[in-house]
Amino acid sequence: MTELIRNVDSPDDITAAAAELRRILGTTSTTPNQILDVFEAWCSALGASDTADLPGVPFLRLWLRRNTLEPIITKELGVGALDGAWVEDGRTRLKAHPVGVVGHWPAGNIEIQPLLSMTCALLGGNTCLVRIPKELRHITSRLIDKLVESDRTSTVTCRIRLLTFDHARPDLQRAMAQSVDGAMIWGGEEAVSEIRSLPFPPWARLAVFGPRISVAAMDVMSWSDPANREALCRRIARDVWQFDQQACTSPQVLFLETKRGKSTGDFVQALRSAFEAENRAHPRESIEGALTSAICQARAAWLLQDETNSAVFPTAPDWTILVGHGSAIPQPTQGRTLTVLEVEDLYEALARLDGNVQTLGLAIADPEQEIAIASLAASHGIDRIVPLGRMHVFGPPWDGVDLIRIMVRMVRHLRPVE
Amino acid sequence: MNALESRIDALLAVPPYSLSPQDKEQVFLALLKDELDYGCTRSAVYRNYVRHWPIDPRAAPRFADLPYLPVSLLKADPPFALVDPHDIKKTLTSSSTTGQMPSRIALDSPTSRRMSKAVIAIAQDFLGQQRRPYLVVDVPSSVAQGPEMGARGAAIQGLMPFASQLTYCMNSDGDGSLVLDRDKLVMFAKAHRDSPVLVYGFTYILWQYLVKSLLAESISLEMPKVHVLHSGGWKRLHDEAVDKPSFNRGVAQVFGCSTERVIDFYGMVENVGVIYPDCAEGNKHVPAFADVIVRDPLTLEPVGEGKRGMVQVCSVLPTSFPGHLLLTEDVAEIVALDGCRCGRRGTAFRFVGRVPRSEMRGCSNIIRRRELG
Repeated sequence: MTELIRNVDSPDDITAAAAELRRILGTTSTTPNQILDVFEAWCSALGASDTADLPGVPFLRLWLRRNTLEPIITKELGVGALDGAWVEDGRTRLKAHPVGVVGHWPAGNIEIQPLLSMTCALLGGNTCLVRIPKELRHITSRLIDKLVESDRTSTVTCRIRLLTFDHARPDLQRAMAQSVDGAMIWGGEEAVSEIRSLPFPPWARLAVFGPRISVAAMDVMSWSDPANREALCRRIARDVWQFDQQACTSPQVLFLETKRGKSTGDFVQALRSAFEAENRAHPRESIEGALTSAICQARAAWLLQDETNSAVFPTAPDWTILVGHGSAIPQPTQGRTLTVLEVEDLYEALARLDGNVQTLGLAIADPEQEIAIASLAASHGIDRIVPLGRMHVFGPPWDGVDLIRIMVRMVRHLRPVE
Repeated sequence: MNALESRIDALLAVPPYSLSPQDKEQVFLALLKDELDYGCTRSAVYRNYVRHWPIDPRAAPRFADLPYLPVSLLKADPPFALVDPHDIKKTLTSSSTTGQMPSRIALDSPTSRRMSKAVIAIAQDFLGQQRRPYLVVDVPSSVAQGPEMGARGAAIQGLMPFASQLTYCMNSDGDGSLVLDRDKLVMFAKAHRDSPVLVYGFTYILWQYLVKSLLAESISLEMPKVHVLHSGGWKRLHDEAVDKPSFNRGVAQVFGCSTERVIDFYGMVENVGVIYPDCAEGNKHVPAFADVIVRDPLTLEPVGEGKRGMVQVCSVLPTSFPGHLLLTEDVAEIVALDGCRCGRRGTAFRFVGRVPRSEMRGCSNIIRRRELG
């Protein structure tokens, strides 16, 4: 098990770790290309049998590939940024420089989030101080072991410090905040609010990825087509299962456009089969009593609320499909509980969405209609519109923000007129 | 309905701890199925819930397979009732955390009558049939006359049939805080020192306002024939690092009795008429007209002996609200499915605590929606 993750108990430990990162930042430099070489090797190492099937690893591997990251770097930082060169633009030269030591406060629910967050800042040339939530320590450790194994020159590992400490210790949280030049903050409302209120230096750049939910939508042509039904339901199930539906990208609601004479019954049964299959493939190993309780409450409350509501669920809390009408999004339950809402007019339902919704997963048969729906969703605050089955694929912009550029300084050199 | 009521009454007439699990299963299952059917005829939304249960209740082989409701669904105003509003004689309310809606339990006359008979049957098994002086460690206003009654009032009133005379030993001061009327307490103790006496108080009130102060002054009330019954949460006592053995020792010392005479009982207003006192072995037992299932949170299947899980209470008593099968947010451990050394038949369990509260986790946790536009 790696020693890169350290448990700290004193503010001095954190300050010292940050000072060391600052020294490294001042004495070494890397180009995105060098980092991409390490990431590519890390991606291969993660494909080994002991890590390939860990939660989120397929997404992490997809993200680490050079083919994924090269175009992102070029788009966000400019042509030539891969080699750390200045980008010429007439009399002006531009070059991305790191903001410095970037602190990362990932949420405790997404296994790969500490690493995704860290990679964004590393590609900008920063060094990283990462707080690993205690519930993610074990899995992060296994994933970082693969990085250590792949990074023989310590190009990346020398630029990161992974720390675990009690989140309720304000002295430690303050020490970390005071030590950084930038922060990437992820999580639920309470966590995000607490971290934002820490005493960051006035110059620190904060990127906050706060709590949001996601929804999916299908037009009548898509869900009623028997040829595609099974595949689409499988994709929905996959999106629901990932991260136990706790991610901001997890669909909580599926809007189904209805049409007179078309029953959604067959579709719901297909969805049930897909959920059963996904559950067989990825059964839960444990659950908190509070979540079981919330799932039972959601099932009962839904059916008792309106006698026209229906639901499909097994006796265990493994998964739940709640079926009803209308466009109002109910309070999410998580725990693989999908609310299927039949709506007569998809546009009208989507027009009621707002910035609380991050991702819209779509299955729309008509490409023109899909473009219109995407435009409508974007104008109502949604930041990602993706096909069903790809709701969790990580990539910029995220929450409307470029993930690498947010933690770099674009330095402008304006040369004098000759 | 009359036939159903007769069958409930017949089960209520059975000595409460005399049935083996096998004898109980069939009669209990059949009665619960008919009560579910009756409930479905009285409420369209309840029928909708039962209809969507993954196992057809009529074909269910065990009562553990029947549709249960999460107890929080009874936090409704007006109460979730299976009788017409004009048939509701009293509404019981649960104690609830500040700002939270309490459970509201609608009682009609038949359910209310059964509730009283059930509490008497259970308590008699522990206390005997004799009436005795009854000391309530509470204020008289807890048993307010009116359409609504709280959990404390329901517990106090449930034991009234055992009282030959009634004394309250607490007062309310100007700001509504409880104050021990020590003179009244001492007079009561002196008057009934050598006779059987019943004392009841909410666990925390008994400890905080009576036992703690008398223990500090090393005062003993010298009532060796007392039975001290108490109920209610342990959370505040655990916050003060008072566990059950030290609580029992403290109470016994103050009342001058043995610790076996200090009886904790678990109960909830939603499970009207059923109380679960500790036996001499420290276990809680289920009477003939009720049962407890402890479910594994991962599978929601009943757990076996020695295992912990979420408590489901089952009771044939209520017909005025859907309280036959309720999944609570309590955690218990099954000690034995039968054969407790105290001689009582059926499931023996121990209450462990509450399901730990947990907020929704992660970045999809939107507690409060952003206000846009």
